[in-house]
Amino acid sequence: MDFSQNLSMEEAFALAEAEAKLNAALQAASQRFNDAKIPDRYNEDWRFGQPAKHAVALAEILKTNVPARGSISVKCADSEVVMPVSAEDDELKETVNLMPTIGSDALLGLHIRRFGEGICLMLEENTEIKQPIIITYETDGLYTPYTFIMAAPGAKARIEEHHKCADGATMFCVRNIHVMEGAQIAVELHEHGSIDSRCMNITDIHNLGGAVQHFTSHAGHAWAREETIAEVYAASPGTSIELYSANRISGNSVLDQHTHQIHHIGGAKSNLLYKNVVDENGTAIFAGNIRVEAGAHCTDAYQTNRNLLLSEKSTVHSLPGLEILADKVRCSHGSASSPVDEEALFYLTSRGVSRANAQELISTGFLEDAYNKFRKSFDETYTSGLPD
Amino acid sequence: MSLIIKDLHARVKDGATILNGINLEIPKGEVHAIMGPNGSGKSTLSKVLCGHPDYEVISGSAELDGQDLFAMSVDERSRAGLFLAFQYPVEVPGVTNANFMRAALQARMPKGEELDAVSFYKEMRSKMKSLDMDPRFTARAVNEGFSGGEKKRNDILQMMMLNPSYAILDETDSGLDVDALKIVSEGVNAMRAPFRSFVIITHYKRLLDYIKPDVVHVLYKGKIVRTAGYELVAQIEQQGFDFIKSEE
Repeated sequence: MDFSQNLSMEEAFALAEAEAKLNAALQAASQRFNDAKIPDRYNEDWRFGQPAKHAVALAEILKTNVPARGSISVKCADSEVVMPVSAEDDELKETVNLMPTIGSDALLGLHIRRFGEGICLMLEENTEIKQPIIITYETDGLYTPYTFIMAAPGAKARIEEHHKCADGATMFCVRNIHVMEGAQIAVELHEHGSIDSRCMNITDIHNLGGAVQHFTSHAGHAWAREETIAEVYAASPGTSIELYSANRISGNSVLDQHTHQIHHIGGAKSNLLYKNVVDENGTAIFAGNIRVEAGAHCTDAYQTNRNLLLSEKSTVHSLPGLEILADKVRCSHGSASSPVDEEALFYLTSRGVSRANAQELISTGFLEDAYNKFRKSFDETYTSGLPD
Repeated sequence: MSLIIKDLHARVKDGATILNGINLEIPKGEVHAIMGPNGSGKSTLSKVLCGHPDYEVISGSAELDGQDLFAMSVDERSRAGLFLAFQYPVEVPGVTNANFMRAALQARMPKGEELDAVSFYKEMRSKMKSLDMDPRFTARAVNEGFSGGEKKRNDILQMMMLNPSYAILDETDSGLDVDALKIVSEGVNAMRAPFRSFVIITHYKRLLDYIKPDVVHVLYKGKIVRTAGYELVAQIEQQGFDFIKSEE
C-alpha cells in the first residue's frame, strides 16, 4: 500500500478497504478462471454452438501460445483520444479480469494471458467527436485484441469497429465499454469473415447514466460466437442501452449470439433487436436474458429476436428469457422465425422483379431495418441530447 | 393485339373450383369493366391471370399479345406487359418504394444497362405529385403503415411507373374517399392510349363514372354471363344483380 500521499486517517482506511476489495475480487476472478472448463454442449450457454468443434479448437490454439498475427488501424479526428493497449497497463488488465462472460470464463482466461494488443479510447468530459472513429483489426492468423472505450460524462462519439479475417484466420476480441452520466456513445461492430474463418467477441457494456447504442453485424465467418453483457449501474434521465444486430448466415456457418441485459438499478431503459437472415445450411442461435435485479423498479426492458429462413435446411435456435426480481417494471420479450412471406414475394414479382431478386430485396430490407433503427436512435439522441 | 382468355377453369389450390369457363377478349386501347356479386370470381380471375400461387388453372388458355400467359412465371407476365392493382396491396417491411420501383424498372432493361438514378427519381416524384402523394413516401417501406387509400394510390403510382400494356384494377375504388377517387381516376384516364387496355373490377358505378368503360361484363358463378355497353352499369345500379341471377 502506498502511504506517500498526504491522507487523513479516514481516507487511508477507505483506500485500504478499496484495495482489499479489489484484491479479493481479483483473487475471486483468478479462481474463476482456474475453475472454468472449456465449453461443451452440457454447458447451458453452449448448448447449440458446436462447442466440441469450434470452442475446443479455439482453446487449443490459444493454449499453444501462437504469436499474434494482425494489424490495427485507427482513424480519429482527435489523436489524443486514442491509445494503444499496453501489456503493462495493470488497471485495464484488472478490468478484464473482473469482466463477466456468458459461459466463456475459460476462453476469457486464455485470452487474458495474451494481454497487450488493441486500442483504448479515452473520451474526455464533454468532448464531442463529430467524425466517426474507425478501428480496424485485421488478421491472417490468430489475433486477440482488446477494445476499451471510456466515455466520461457528457462525451459524444460514434465508433465503428471492423474485424477482418482472411481465409482460415481466427479473431477473438474482448471489448469493454464504460459510459458515464450524460455520455452518448454509438458503437458498431462489423465482422468480415472468409472461408473457414472464426471469430469470437465478448463485450461488456457498463452504463453509469448515459445512452449507448450498440450494433453488430456478421457475414462470412464459418463460426462466430458473440457474448454481449449490457449492464445499467446508475440511472439519470435518458439512461438507456440499445442493442441491435443484423446478420447473414449461409453455407455451413454458425452464428451463436448470447446477450444479458442486466438492470442493477431502476429507472433506465434497455432494448434489443437481433435479426438474422439464414440461408442454405446456416445456423443462427440466439439466447438472450433480461435480468431486473431486486429493487430496480421502473425499468423498461425489451428483447426481440427475428429470423428469416431462406432454405428448408436453415436452422434457428431462439431462446429469449426474462428474470424479474423487482416490481413496477415493463419488460417483454419476443421471438419470430419464418420463411419469406409468400404474399410479399408475389407482390414484388408481380411488378417484374425476379423471385431471386425479390427475396434479396426482402432479406436486405429485413436486416437494414435493424441498422436503420440503430442509426435513427443515435441520430435522435445525438441531435436532441439527453433530457435534463 | 389483345388479351384473350378462352374457356378458363381455375380453382383454389387443392380446393374449390371458382372459374367455370371464362371467355374474354380485351383488345388494345379499350377499357373493360367486370362487375358481379360477391364471390362470383372477379378477384380470382385477376389473380389467376397474374399467376398467384394459391390458385391453379384446371383448363383453358390465356394469351397476351399472342404469348401463352400461363407458360410464364409471375415476373415474366409483368415484364410482358400485365399489371394488377391489388384489391389489398401487400405490406413489404424493409423494402422502400424507391428501391422496389428501381428493381422493377431495372428488370425491364437490357442486360448490362443501368437505370439512370437521377431521371428515375425525377420521374417518380413527378408521378407522385400528379397523384397528390407525399414525396417522402419514396423512402418509406412498401405500403407499411399506409392507410387503405394510400396503398391504392401507391399501386396506381407503380402502374404509372411501369407503363403496362394491360392493367387490371381490382376494386381500386374500395377504401378511396371521393377526392382520392377523382385523383386516381384522372391518373388512369391520363394513361388511356391505343396501345394500352384496362380491366376494371368494381362493385360500384361511381368509379365507372370517372373512368368510362367501352365494354361492361358481368361475372357470375365463375362465368361471364352478360356483356354490353355502359348502359349495363346503370341497369345494375338500379336493379342490382338480381335480374341476372334470376336469368341464370
